[in-house]
Amino acid sequence: MIKRSVLILAACFAGLSSASASATAPVHAPIFMPNTLNVGNPALVPPPICCAPQGPPVAGEPAPVNMAYFGGHIQVDPKIYVVFWGWGEPGAFNHTTPGAPSDDPDGAAARMTAFIKAMGGTSWAAVSTQYYETVNGQNVHIQNPGNVFGGVWYDNANPIHNNLSGLELAQEAQRAAAHFHVTDFDNSQFVIAQPQMYNEAGFNSGAGYCAYHDYTEPASYPGVQPGISFTNMPYVLNSGSTCGENSVNTGYYAGRLDGFTIVLGHEVEETITDPGAEAVVNGQNLGGWYDYAAYENGDKCAWVGYTEGVAPASTVPGGLNDITGNDGKQYPVQSLWSNDSAGGAGYCAGAADDVPVTG
Amino acid sequence: MSINVRTKTAIVVAAASLAAATTGVAAASSPPITITTPRAGAWISGERNPYIAVAGGVQFAPSTPQTTRFYLRRDACGTTNDNPHLSVTSATDGGDGCGLIIDSAVGLGGNVDQAAFVDFPATDGMPLALDSSRPITGVIDLKGTAAGLAQVNVSMDALVGGQGVTVGSDSASAVLDPTASDNAVAFTITPSAGLAGADLQGLDLRVSISGPSVDAGYIGLSGKSFADVPSFTASVNRSVEISLDDPTFSNPIPARLGTSGSSWSVAIAAPAPGRHTVYAESIQGFATSKPVTTTFTVRR
Repeated sequence: MIKRSVLILAACFAGLSSASASATAPVHAPIFMPNTLNVGNPALVPPPICCAPQGPPVAGEPAPVNMAYFGGHIQVDPKIYVVFWGWGEPGAFNHTTPGAPSDDPDGAAARMTAFIKAMGGTSWAAVSTQYYETVNGQNVHIQNPGNVFGGVWYDNANPIHNNLSGLELAQEAQRAAAHFHVTDFDNSQFVIAQPQMYNEAGFNSGAGYCAYHDYTEPASYPGVQPGISFTNMPYVLNSGSTCGENSVNTGYYAGRLDGFTIVLGHEVEETITDPGAEAVVNGQNLGGWYDYAAYENGDKCAWVGYTEGVAPASTVPGGLNDITGNDGKQYPVQSLWSNDSAGGAGYCAGAADDVPVTG
Repeated sequence: MSINVRTKTAIVVAAASLAAATTGVAAASSPPITITTPRAGAWISGERNPYIAVAGGVQFAPSTPQTTRFYLRRDACGTTNDNPHLSVTSATDGGDGCGLIIDSAVGLGGNVDQAAFVDFPATDGMPLALDSSRPITGVIDLKGTAAGLAQVNVSMDALVGGQGVTVGSDSASAVLDPTASDNAVAFTITPSAGLAGADLQGLDLRVSISGPSVDAGYIGLSGKSFADVPSFTASVNRSVEISLDDPTFSNPIPARLGTSGSSWSVAIAAPAPGRHTVYAESIQGFATSKPVTTTFTVRR
């Protein structure tokens, strides 16, 4: 179980000298993935945990300082369930593509589904296996099984609308849990993917993020079953290059869906290493792994190498790049923070363009 | 009544082809696919006929070579709704006359000019059956007071089977005459051989223009810049598939087309005794016919 002493111990191991946790728990917020124009925007970062936080990351560069374990659970044997909410409902898309299904005219649903099926067992997903949870004094590491795909649900029965709230997304995650008959919530996460014309309100408003992940607890999501890890996955193509379009692959069509796997990969790997989303409930930290500026493994490497198309991001170590999935196909992703990389100093890894010393 | 069909597949198929040929294809106003074998209401001995011939006629649209002209268009100048695109129709463009030509500096003009190129994705004219045996030709019209050498780079990519593919590219140069109203720079793209017969779901023309003194010019639109893409009037990808007792075709069985292209046939294992329905549909590119059916009964 999670104990305060574990948290303090973790802080000590992290080598932070001035540890003094705040007396009052910060107001919880989802863990946002900023778009390329809002990297380091303090409005999109949870409050620092303690001590002297590092400054926000510089756009296009990794955020230094290794992550620490904050005592909550992680997803040892992850299962990812993908919900395409309302993709087949009237008005979900404003266009069609010949030969493509009307509920997926850009191929985004197919690409995201294929990616989740293909990510298991890759060297990219393996970056997270260095992280662990402590149970009865034993460190239990994250596994990298070949199949992390839990299932897919095209939910066209529950009406969707534009400008969804976070609560509505959490409610959909709860419905998905029931749909899939999920009982192991610690290892399960739910991606609520939205169609082109019906998206979450903050994404639509231009708040500056591409997606977020969160954890249901009564204070933030009243009436929703506690303990559900979910991702708000908007239709990131609506944000164009600021959420990854053409950021890895060149060619109008070749890179059009880049953002979907970059953003989705960011969120699902953050959820694996920090399913509790840094939540603190009744003084108990439910968080897994992140640094003392509250950056998770995805945040610390978001948009590394991105130059608005001037140069390939993969020319920068840890930059956005294609990885080969377990199906042999290429998927653009961002790298993930690896405490073990660079001789233990930590760096962004897993995107097939690591620095020479890697974990 | 029973139909005694021989057990060897080759014979079955040959017989089926003959049946289809003699029956012929329905007139143009009829459904484009028919089932002639087995006949509706037929009784078939499952014991004597481990395979059953299924055959019929089909009428595909002719695939006649043609050329599809895509005009470079732009709706506005310097707004978030500039919407550079390709269209098979032409008219006066609201974005004609604004500075699409950029010099060697990167990023001038905001997102539209990101990384010194402009994408013109097709907003109509799709799907398109590409004839890759002929070159894609076109013109980028340069206007304004630009002068001197201009380099025009064009590249075309397409969406095929949901994947982005490179069609081809070309570079052309011209010495601009600032006193001329138009400087037509012709380009030719040789399509990738791997795209022979491809049905394009989307098409994009990426244009990049550079030169020491071209920043005062722009691309002439309103019908003056275009790409002529060789195509067919209908897809060359034709097939017929059948489905046994399943109108959703969840496990379709491909049929063989006759050499004339107007008949089809396939042998299927005799199903269990009882009443069965065969569904057949024809597919040409992205167009799928309404299924036709016939019902027969298998007895022991």
